[in-house]
Amino acid sequence: MQVGLRRGLPSRDGLTAWLLVAPAVLCIIVLFIVPIGYVLLLSITDPTVSLDHYRRFFTVPLYANVMVNTFRTSLIVTVACLALGYPLAYVMARRNDAVAVVLLVAVGLSFWTGFVVRTYAWLIILGNKGPVAATYAFAGWGNPPQLLFTSFSSTLGMTHVLLPYMVLALYGVMRKIDPSYVRAAEGLGARPFGAFRLVFLPLSLPGVVNGCVLVFTMCLGFYITPILLGTPKDMMISQLISQQIEDLLAWGFASAIAVVLLACTLVLLGVYNRFAGLDRLWG
Amino acid sequence: MARHVPLVLASLAAIFLVAPMAIIVPMSFSKAISFEFPPPGYWTGYYAQYFSSRSWLEATANSFIIAFASMALTLIAALPAAFGFVRYRFHGKSMLNLVMMLPIIVPAVVSALGYYSFLGPLHLVGTHTGMIVAHSELSIPVAFLVVAAALKGFDRNLERAAMSAGAGPLRTFLWVTLPVLRPAILVGALFAFLHSFNEAVVAIFIAGRDASTLPKKMFESIRLESDPVIAVVSTLLTGAVLLGVLISLFFRQRPAQG
Repeated sequence: MQVGLRRGLPSRDGLTAWLLVAPAVLCIIVLFIVPIGYVLLLSITDPTVSLDHYRRFFTVPLYANVMVNTFRTSLIVTVACLALGYPLAYVMARRNDAVAVVLLVAVGLSFWTGFVVRTYAWLIILGNKGPVAATYAFAGWGNPPQLLFTSFSSTLGMTHVLLPYMVLALYGVMRKIDPSYVRAAEGLGARPFGAFRLVFLPLSLPGVVNGCVLVFTMCLGFYITPILLGTPKDMMISQLISQQIEDLLAWGFASAIAVVLLACTLVLLGVYNRFAGLDRLWG
Repeated sequence: MARHVPLVLASLAAIFLVAPMAIIVPMSFSKAISFEFPPPGYWTGYYAQYFSSRSWLEATANSFIIAFASMALTLIAALPAAFGFVRYRFHGKSMLNLVMMLPIIVPAVVSALGYYSFLGPLHLVGTHTGMIVAHSELSIPVAFLVVAAALKGFDRNLERAAMSAGAGPLRTFLWVTLPVLRPAILVGALFAFLHSFNEAVVAIFIAGRDASTLPKKMFESIRLESDPVIAVVSTLLTGAVLLGVLISLFFRQRPAQG
C-alpha cells in the first residue's frame, strides 16, 4: 500500500504514474493537438490538395516583408521590455520595503489585467483627442504626428502589454540570488557598480534569457495589440492571418501562415529547451 | 546620486505600466461619446448603460460561467498530472512534459484557427461547451505549473511521519498532503480562472454571439463603434484586479507555497 512513498516495484509505480498523468495528457492530445492538426490539414487541402499556399508564402515578396517586420518588431519589443524591466525587477528583488511592495502591485495589476483592456488604454492616449494631442494643442505645437495605427503605436502597445512577463521572469531568478554574494564583493573592495557587474549581473543572466525568450515568442504571434493599434502597411504575421480570414475568407492560406508561425515558435523554444529545459521558462 | 539610478529607472518603468490604465478611469466617467481626454464633462451615464445593456451583461455572465467551468475541468486534469510528473518516473516522461506545455507554447491565433475548424463540424462553435472545452485545455499548463512547483518543494517527511504514526495513504493524503498544498491549489485555480477570463483570441474566433465573453465583446466594440461602455468595463475589470492583487498581498505575509 505504500506505492506513493517508497520506490517500490517499477511496473506498479509506472502504472500509477500513467493513471495520474493520463487524463491531462489525453485531454491535450485529443482536444488540443488534434485541433492544431486541423490547421495543418487545412493548409494543404483547402481549397485543393497542394502545397501552393506554402509556395506562395515563401515566394511573394510581400509575405517576406511581413516575416521580416514580425521578427524586427518582436526584437524591438524584447529589447525595450528588457531595458524597462531589468531595473524594475532589480529594485523589486533587492529591496524588502514598501517600495518593493508598491512595484509588485504595479506589476501584478498590469499582469492580471487583460490584453484588450490595456490595448484600449493606448487607443485613448494616442488618439487624436487624447492626452498627447491635448498636450500638443496646449503647447501650441499644432497637430501631433499620426501616432495611432502606425507600427510605432503597435510596438509601444506590445511593449506595455508584455513588460510584466519580462519583469516576472527576471524577478523569479533575481529573487534567488543570495544578497550576501554582492555584499561579499563590496566587502572585498568592489564598488557598487563593480559588484553589480561582476556578481549580480552574471547571476541574473538566466532570467534575462527566460524573459527574452518568453517575450519574443509571445510577440511573434501576438494578435490583439497589432490588430487594434497597428497598420496594414506594416503587418505582423497575426495581422496577415486576420486579414486573410476576415477580408478574403482564405482559410487555407491563413492556416498555412499559422503553420509557419507555429514552426517559428517551436524552433525557437526547441533551441531553448535543448540548452535550458523548457520547464524553467515559466520559473 | 548614482545609488538612486535603479530606483528612478524602476519607478519610470512602473509608471509606464500603470499610468495608461489609470487614464481609463476618468474616461469611464466622461460625457464624450468617443475617446476624448481630458473629458469635456463628467457623469455616470455609461455605468448606467452598462448595467442596463443586455449584451454587455450577457457577455459578463458568459465570462464568469466559462471561466468557472473551465477552471473546474482544468483542476480535475492538472492536479493528478502534477502528482504523476513530480513523484514518479516513467517512460516518455520528458516528452509528455513537453506535451503538457503545448497549450501555452502554441500562439493563440494558431489554437484559435484549430478550434474553429475542429469545433465547427461538431456544431460547437458559438456555444458555451466549445468555449469551456477550449479554455480548459489552454489553462491546464498554467494550473499544472503552479501545483507542480509547490509539490517539488513539498517536504515528504511530513507524509512519512503521518504514515509511521499509523495513518493510511488516504488519510495521509487528506490530512497532510492536501492541507499543505491547499494554497498552491487555490493559486492554480485562480490562475486558471483568470487565464480563461482574460483570454481573447480563441474567444474572438469561436465564441460567436451566444457565448461571447467580455474580452471578445470589448475587442469587437473597439473595432466597430468604440462604444464608450468599454471604458466602464475596463475600469470595473482593472478595479477588480487591483482588489485581488491587494488581497493576495495581504495573505502573502508568509511565503507558504515555497
